[in-house]
Amino acid sequence: MKLLIVEDEQPLRESIERYFTGDGVICESCSDLRTAVEKVDLYKYDCILLDIGLADGDGFTLLRHLQRERKDEGVLIISARNSLDDKLMGLNLGADDYLTKPFHLAELKARVSAIFRRKSFNSNNTLRYEEIEVNLPAREVEVNGNQITLTRKEYDMLLYLIANKGKVISKNAIAEHLWGDETDLIDSFDFIYTHIKNIRKKLMDAANKDYIRSVYGVGYKFL
Amino acid sequence: MKLSAQYTKVNFIITISVLVLTGVVYYGTINYIANRELDRNLVGEIDEIEEYIETYHKLPQSSDFEQDQFTFTATNDKEVKQVFFNAAYRNQRNGKSEAGRAVITWVTFNGTNYKMEIVLSKESTENLVQVILMITLALIVILLIILAIANRFVLDGLWKPFYQILANLREFSVTEERAHAVAGIKVDEFKELNEAVITMSSRAKSDYQNLKAFTENASHEMMTPIAVITSKLDTLIQDESLQQDQYAQINDIYSAASRLSKLNQSLLLLVKIENDLLRDIEPINLQDIIAERAHQFNELLLSKNISLVQRLNDVEVSVSKYLIEILINNLFTNAIRHNVPFGMIRIELKKNKLLFQNTGVDKMPLNPKEIFERFQKGKASEGTGLGLTIAHNICKQYGWRLTYYFEDPLHTFQIDF
Repeated sequence: MKLLIVEDEQPLRESIERYFTGDGVICESCSDLRTAVEKVDLYKYDCILLDIGLADGDGFTLLRHLQRERKDEGVLIISARNSLDDKLMGLNLGADDYLTKPFHLAELKARVSAIFRRKSFNSNNTLRYEEIEVNLPAREVEVNGNQITLTRKEYDMLLYLIANKGKVISKNAIAEHLWGDETDLIDSFDFIYTHIKNIRKKLMDAANKDYIRSVYGVGYKFL
Repeated sequence: MKLSAQYTKVNFIITISVLVLTGVVYYGTINYIANRELDRNLVGEIDEIEEYIETYHKLPQSSDFEQDQFTFTATNDKEVKQVFFNAAYRNQRNGKSEAGRAVITWVTFNGTNYKMEIVLSKESTENLVQVILMITLALIVILLIILAIANRFVLDGLWKPFYQILANLREFSVTEERAHAVAGIKVDEFKELNEAVITMSSRAKSDYQNLKAFTENASHEMMTPIAVITSKLDTLIQDESLQQDQYAQINDIYSAASRLSKLNQSLLLLVKIENDLLRDIEPINLQDIIAERAHQFNELLLSKNISLVQRLNDVEVSVSKYLIEILINNLFTNAIRHNVPFGMIRIELKKNKLLFQNTGVDKMPLNPKEIFERFQKGKASEGTGLGLTIAHNICKQYGWRLTYYFEDPLHTFQIDF
């Protein structure tokens, strides 16, 4: 998968690049609109991470450019403005998703994976990871051909973990993914612990393999 | 006391005292003039009597001088000065006693000294004085009535712009766009006052706008650094050579960053509500929204053993879906956050009101004045302290009233649609 990161905040750009690079993902990045336009004209990307507020213009210009050139790159907008108008405008201009800053890299990766899944031509609507096979439209999971039953939250969590396989995912990131705005309200870490325990057990029973590793107090890693 | 009433009072006191004083001076003056006239008449009478005595060599009888009354008393006293004084006058026709003016003088007749007293009726002058007094009194009354009417209509009319300006000031709100001009003022002072009020209010408004713009910009600008912090932490935890206590510290930074971001989002939301930027109004079934939220919070309610009692009617409102979800969410969050294990939440939705009631750690009513203020929150609360402020402002936006009261043991939030 080839990724273009258009973000003018250098530390953020570096973090994203570092998080995404590896495991078959190639990242390129730039900090301004002009370079971004040049790059999309020259190369083909699977997904573009686009910051709206750039020094030399807004990211919408790039979206319009892509529309004009009839390019079908997946675009995920990352913006500091949590504005409904911006969101609608972005989506109308052909963006696939809209993520408001600040975000967790794990969330970003999950969203990019979803876009990539939707865009890739061999989308037979299944997601495969080792023995695990997820039927996305039906929201069903099979391990070694045996169907396992997951609750809605467990299913969401499994997809999230698979998207971030091999990475340590913080509990904060999982909580925000599962509960969004209500995160601060709940003893969410206890809930996460319970959900993780259940998923782990169900996968263990079906595949006889422990997929999830706890990383001290901070989070979990899907192997 | 109203200014016009105060003014009228002072006006009345001054008018009455001046008029009374004038009356007294009038009375005195007229009396004096009248007495002098009478005295002159009396002197004339004396001359006539003396002439009579000289002509007829006898003392005159009362009948000889029809109107006058006079008496002669033989006396051994030496002749003294004439004395004029007020005396009673007996009216011969009806026998009544009237006010009169008298003089005592001396005449010598046949070698005998006589003290002569002549009395004239003062009735006519007395009548004149009375008429003048009546006129003066009538004048006072008429003047007072005119003053009262003038004060009432003229003064009230004059002060009308003032009260309009005052009403404008009372209704003044920095959030409103409405202009505060009062048209058609003729009085210079009020014109100036009105201009000053307009200048002041527009300055207050622009200050407020600047402050809001500042809040919005500051919040936006802060999002990127928070994003950097979060992303760096996400990167940092990938390094599995870290020690456990370092992870613990990272966890603390995570939650601090997350709180910062929530606080920022809440502030931005407040600005948006106040700026009326969320106008995507559509008919929303409130019952559905509440039921949906209840479903989302179900897991949480179960874990805290909080029972949820819902009595929902089918109610539709025209609002922004985004805002109504935040409103219900905040009320729910509040009811859960301050609840106790094995407590309860009661939601009642009727045609014109929505109740959110919850048992709470506090068994006392909270201060209903402070509860919707920004950053007012319980010591134990993990929230931003903006949740209820946001709920309050959303209600205000739609002209609803959000109130708090304590109905032992339930803390109650009531929205009147």
